Amino acid sequence: MSIMSMPEPAAARLTGEAALVARLQAGDDGAYEELVRLHGPAMTAVIRRYLPSESDAHDALQDAFLSAFKAIDRFEGAAGLGTWLHRIAVNAALMKLRTRRRKPETPIEDLLPKFLEDGHRDLAGPAWTPTPDRIAEDEETRHAVREAIRQLPESFRTVLLLRDIEEKSTEETAELLGLTVANVKTRLHRARQALGELLSRRFGKDVP
Amino acid sequence: MTHDHPHDPQHEVPRDPVSGRELTCRDICDFVMAYLDGELPEREQAIFAAHLRLCRQCVSYLEGYKTTIQLARQSHETNPCAALPPVPDDLVKAILAARKARE
Repeated sequence: MSIMSMPEPAAARLTGEAALVARLQAGDDGAYEELVRLHGPAMTAVIRRYLPSESDAHDALQDAFLSAFKAIDRFEGAAGLGTWLHRIAVNAALMKLRTRRRKPETPIEDLLPKFLEDGHRDLAGPAWTPTPDRIAEDEETRHAVREAIRQLPESFRTVLLLRDIEEKSTEETAELLGLTVANVKTRLHRARQALGELLSRRFGKDVP
Repeated sequence: MTHDHPHDPQHEVPRDPVSGRELTCRDICDFVMAYLDGELPEREQAIFAAHLRLCRQCVSYLEGYKTTIQLARQSHETNPCAALPPVPDDLVKAILAARKARE
C-alpha cells in the first residue's frame, strides 16, 4: 500500500464505497455520519502529524469534513474516497497551521551537527541500531520515530512531513506553505539533520 | 587549529574548485542533500565523492542521513492491522451539526 494513501476500510472499498458516495450525493443524513465514523479515525491520524494539539486537530477534522461535504458532488471516485479525504485532511491541517496563533518554536540549532573550528568532525556519526528493514516490522520503533518527528519545531516538521512522508515535490511544498523553493530545501535539510540527531540519541551508538 | 582527521596522506585532499580551500566535513554536511538528489555540478559531485573516500566520519554521517529518511517514511506507512481510535461521539455530532447549519 502506498504511504500516500490512508487505510481504505477494505469492506467499504470493495462492497459499498460507490453506494456510500451515491447516498452522500443524494444528501442522505445517515451516509454523512457513516463517512465521519468510517474515515474520521484515519483522517485524524493524518491531521495529528501536523497538529499535535488535540483541540486543533479536532477543529481541522471538522473543517476537513465540511470541505469534503461541500465537494462531494464533484467526487468522481478515480482516486478512492480514502485518498481523496487524505488530501483534504492535509489541506485542512495546513490551513489550521496558517490561521492559528503561532507559538514560539524551540530552536533547531541544538539538534544540528557540530564541527571543530577547521570544519571537520570530532566524532563519528551515529551507527544505527534498527535497520529500515527491521523497523517496518516493529511498531514500537515506528512509534518512537513518529514521536521524534513530533519533537521537531513545527516549521521544520511540516516541511519534512510534506516532502518525505507525503512525497510532495519541493515546488508543490513551497506553494502549499508559501515559501521559496530554496527555503523548503533548507528547512528539509535541517529537519532531516535534527531528526537524525534525535534518532541517534534514541537508537544510535557512536562508531568505535 | 591542527585537526587529526583520518584522511589518507597518499591521496590529494579534495578542495573547493573555486576557492581552492580544502573541502571540510561541514561542507559535506551542508551539501549532502544536493549530493543525494544529484543536484551538484559534476565536478563538485566528484570532489564530494573524493572526500567520502577519505573520511569515514562523513560516510557514517551520509548513511545516517539516508537511514533517517527511510525511517521517517516507514514510520508513517499504514499498518492495516492497526486499530485507530474512533472519532469521539461529541465531535461526530458537532461535525454533522455544522453541516446542517451550513445547509
